[in-house]
Amino acid sequence: MELGAFVMVPGGDDFTGIREAQPHGLAAFENPRAPYSSRMPILGNDVLRSWMDRVRKLGMQSLWLASGAGAGAATSALAEFARQGIERLLVIELKSYAEMDLADLLRFHCERRNPVTEAQDAGGQLGVRLLDRPALRATAEKYESCCPPTESVRNPYQFSGYAKRILSARERQELVGDGLTGACAMRPLGTQIREQVWIGEGVKVATSARVIGPTYIGADTIVRAGATIGPFASVERDCVVDCGTTVERSTALPDTYLAAGLLIRNGLVDGGHLEHLGWGAAADLESAGLGSRISRRGSRRQPFSPAPTDDCSRGENALPWNLASSSAVAQPWLQVQL
Amino acid sequence: MKDRAMNGAAWRILPFPSASSSASRRAQRKDLLSALRVSESPVIVDFSECRSLTFEDIDLLLECLGQAAGRDTQVVFVAGSNANRLLLEVTRISSLAPVFISVEEVLAHPQVAARCDAADRACEDRACEDRANDHQGASQSQTLWSA
Repeated sequence: MELGAFVMVPGGDDFTGIREAQPHGLAAFENPRAPYSSRMPILGNDVLRSWMDRVRKLGMQSLWLASGAGAGAATSALAEFARQGIERLLVIELKSYAEMDLADLLRFHCERRNPVTEAQDAGGQLGVRLLDRPALRATAEKYESCCPPTESVRNPYQFSGYAKRILSARERQELVGDGLTGACAMRPLGTQIREQVWIGEGVKVATSARVIGPTYIGADTIVRAGATIGPFASVERDCVVDCGTTVERSTALPDTYLAAGLLIRNGLVDGGHLEHLGWGAAADLESAGLGSRISRRGSRRQPFSPAPTDDCSRGENALPWNLASSSAVAQPWLQVQL
Repeated sequence: MKDRAMNGAAWRILPFPSASSSASRRAQRKDLLSALRVSESPVIVDFSECRSLTFEDIDLLLECLGQAAGRDTQVVFVAGSNANRLLLEVTRISSLAPVFISVEEVLAHPQVAARCDAADRACEDRACEDRANDHQGASQSQTLWSA
């Protein structure tokens, strides 16, 4: 039976400019939408890559990627897959990190003869499902990612392994802590310089700065005099933490500048935007002169290059099911060789 | 500027500059700092009208703290929103003065009330002591005078 895999990156993402258009001044909103992308690195890792590795272990050689796919776009995508004769489709919405054995999910799906199998854990759906062709056709007619077909609810695949929702700032920070302490399989991307402290390439830490493990400092980040990083901190790549600032139990996403003398505790900072993990409150650091996005020439903010390469192709010629030309979605779809 | 009484103590509520024109803001800023300079009651600096704080606002809050510290006046801040409160935590201002969401929260807060009562008691004690000293002094002087 032909199996396809389709990964949807939720939200307003695209592969060419992640959140460049994110408005500032969110301070007025107590609970703004998640200000970061599911493609933003976690301890230097790309969660999409981890799912791609799992798909590859199923013996598949390629998968499809779509970004910014809302319900409408997903509907048209699934309809197209059904039309093109895909008999079974693995759909992954990139909203969680789960150490899931997809072969086990597939086995469960086949044994139960479910038309649809939705993976879930104690916290609910994980955004991973398998659809057989009839279900694919039916689902395509009325696809709602938040409201899966009733068959999948009746016979869900109960996942009991490690999983975290990466669109939730709090769970994301929990994943950071678990990665730093070895409570999950994700390892920080860098060199371990001492117990529970990892740094990426090109990191500069002032001699008077303190790094308290467990902590991760991403590539090319600068930590200035008197700053304190950790414990349970992740400062991702290309950040600058200015003099005397403390980053504790928090994450700074790539290209973030933090001004001098600040205390970032239990927070997630993305450029000039800060979300408190406990209160759910968000504040605009930029207008207060406390933080900002560092704009760099040739920024590596895009963790996944859209440019056609040996591994990744785009356009009609590369699309076996002619999805790009028939799709009405604004974002192009990519076929990625695994 | 308003005064609110709680447990016998009068709190002076000072509004934070929130006018749209810079001239008015400058005037409000001047009023705030002069009021802080002369206030003998505990002070609530209320910036709940500010939707988001700018770096100038943060400078002014620090200046308020400086004024109050110089005079040993109790100051609390009313942030109005968790976003503003978060900025005060990030700038470490919240470690220098208590921060509340609303004026009602300040007045209902037992610790502030206790501090206020303690301040009142301290004032009363000082007054009693002063009276006693005055009395003793008067006695002494009287004694001296008698001698």
